[in-house]
Amino acid sequence: MISKRNRLRNVALVAGAAALSVAATGCSGGGSSASSQTKDVTITVALFGAPPPQKSLDEFKKSTGITVKWSTIDWDSLQTKIAAASTSNTYFADATDVDWSRVGQEGKLGWFLPMEKYIDQKAYAADMPQLSSFTSNGHIVGVPFDASYLVTTVNKQMFAKAGITTMPKTIDEYTRDLQKVKASGVSPTPLNIPFNAAEGLSTYWYQTTQAFGGSILDEAGKPQFTSPDSPGYKAAQWMVDALKNGLVPAGNINVSDSQGQQTLMAKGVTASTFADYSGNVGSLYDVPASSSVTGKLQYIPTPGLSGTTANVSNPDGIGILKTAKYPEAAAKFIEWFTSAENQADFAGASGPDKVMPGYFLPSRLSGLTKLTSAKGLAGGQELTSMLKTSKPVFPAGAPVWYPQFSNAVYTNLHAAAAGSMSVDAAIKTIADTATKLAGQ
Amino acid sequence: MSTSLRIKQQPPARDVRPAPGKAGRGRRLDILPYALVTPLTLFIVGLALIPAGFTIVEAFFRVQPLNPPDEFNGLDNFRQLFADHAITASMGNTAIYVVIGVLLSTVLAIAMAVTLQKEFRGRSILIAVLILPWALPGVVEGIVWGSIWDSNTGLLNSLLNSFHVIDHYMVFLGQNHFLTILGIELVQVWQITPLSTLLVLAALQNIPADLYEAATLDGCSGWTTFSRITLPLARPGITIAMVQAIIATLNVFDQPYILNGSAATGASVTMQTYFISFQNLNFGEGYALSLLITLATLAASLLVLKFVYRPVEF
Repeated sequence: MISKRNRLRNVALVAGAAALSVAATGCSGGGSSASSQTKDVTITVALFGAPPPQKSLDEFKKSTGITVKWSTIDWDSLQTKIAAASTSNTYFADATDVDWSRVGQEGKLGWFLPMEKYIDQKAYAADMPQLSSFTSNGHIVGVPFDASYLVTTVNKQMFAKAGITTMPKTIDEYTRDLQKVKASGVSPTPLNIPFNAAEGLSTYWYQTTQAFGGSILDEAGKPQFTSPDSPGYKAAQWMVDALKNGLVPAGNINVSDSQGQQTLMAKGVTASTFADYSGNVGSLYDVPASSSVTGKLQYIPTPGLSGTTANVSNPDGIGILKTAKYPEAAAKFIEWFTSAENQADFAGASGPDKVMPGYFLPSRLSGLTKLTSAKGLAGGQELTSMLKTSKPVFPAGAPVWYPQFSNAVYTNLHAAAAGSMSVDAAIKTIADTATKLAGQ
Repeated sequence: MSTSLRIKQQPPARDVRPAPGKAGRGRRLDILPYALVTPLTLFIVGLALIPAGFTIVEAFFRVQPLNPPDEFNGLDNFRQLFADHAITASMGNTAIYVVIGVLLSTVLAIAMAVTLQKEFRGRSILIAVLILPWALPGVVEGIVWGSIWDSNTGLLNSLLNSFHVIDHYMVFLGQNHFLTILGIELVQVWQITPLSTLLVLAALQNIPADLYEAATLDGCSGWTTFSRITLPLARPGITIAMVQAIIATLNVFDQPYILNGSAATGASVTMQTYFISFQNLNFGEGYALSLLITLATLAASLLVLKFVYRPVEF
């Protein structure tokens, strides 16, 4: 009979041996050996949003034999995990997020497998206007799974109360209308600009620069906004002036983009957001649980210098990591995940059972058309035409140093708005950063 | 006060080894203790010591995946860090976080621990509630406190306005440098104080009741009792509480990032480590900055040990 002490010793030995083997396995590190198997495999998909309905995933499994293990990770942590796993050549997921702003970096580093190997590039490009944002060094790094582009939203009731019935088509008309809304007392602070030092401020500036008729960088990465006459400079000045002149709530110095949409626009505090999220009218402003202004907000073609202007796109994509265990199976999943039918269903075309929580808009024109005709999507026609003409922030693709550049944009524009530096100094610092990074 | 209270070195631990001959019977090596400590040892070595050693070495290398190859560059990473205004500004911010956070959390912890020292009705419930802020993730706390500090729709502005303390909403975070840091650090103090309180409380509960009885008999005032008995004898607990506060405040990330974004008014050193490493993919500088944070933590902790810690014996 084994004594109690001996039994304890055996248990301890097994535990020690197990720990040793776990440590040895962990220390061996190394990447995965990829398999082309697509039947009876389990792939891991890591994205920042909630998964599609289990019923949809079950149908996918039934038709392909691929089980999807969905891992929801917040956006920042996801980028950290992608970087850590890729640099250490360790398996983390088969398919994961490819953000438009990281395409240059991730494309150069070869962290993702080229998608053109798995998809019909021509057919995808014709139906997905934002696919070009995911191209780096001639390779498609990821496929946009939802459409995200910046749009102008207006509380038409507040505008009407201020006597404005014709929507502005130019930035000057837009500014005058906002002043009119303010002067009428309908909203003392009618414009929402998120001045919190975060990515949302950078993208707001890109859209405003587009509205003033210009771009941020040329193809070589040279800044296009240094002269006071340049659109980028004027856009920065316009945004900061809007805060200083009281068009924007003073507290917006520390308000993020989503926070402003939820607490100011959806509550009727502000009357317009110049660079809002596409899809917000249907998914936020018209939802009684989150909004007190249901049915009162609409998209308007974004006002520009001498007429309406194009919308800047910032889509979310999905790609296959180079360390994926089952790249072929992951490709099948991406094809299914980004099909027109599923995209429309995820956005609510076939009722609540197939809705993917947090999903905005289909990235395929055919998906958007299907959605619009199926459920009368709020502003569906406007959104479809805006998606067709939407433009990437950087036509030549996001530079490899984009994250560093964006950090300089939002920290310095925030500082200019807070009054700790002038707009001129902020623009100069941003331009110097771009010049230095482009020259490296 | 006649009670003699001395703080002195503890005697060395008694040698409990068995007498020669007894343990050596059969000369059989008892591997049980080793097997028991193996998992923990592997855990510490694998997840703390090896990464720490790796960080120290790589801090002296240029490690930029976008700009290969990796190569030894001496102190260049450190030079670059000190030449970057954003980094030096964040070092200044972090120093203020540490000073405010450590002092405030320690004072509050002592006050709360003294309050909780004696038994009273509902004490257990109060301790359970007290621990809640410590159990919450920093991100959640940032979001909760964001709705309090919010300059457009925040609770604090609403309250101050209701009581006619202010006539228009104030901007608490993002504009004034010191106010921003204070607002952010108060949130962290709210988080770390519960653990500090429990550490100090544990030290207070070791103090023999007869010391307090003697003080009462001698007619000591409450303040004298606190300053001559409670405070000196709680020093080990206070030291641990201060060290954990130093570690937490030197590594503050969630609260400034959630409440103030990346703005220079509140950015901390750990935020910069994240930006350098995972935004700019400059791992060499990231390692160097991590090493500096570790050294700063070590130095500050040693200072606390030197000036606050005293071994006590009852």
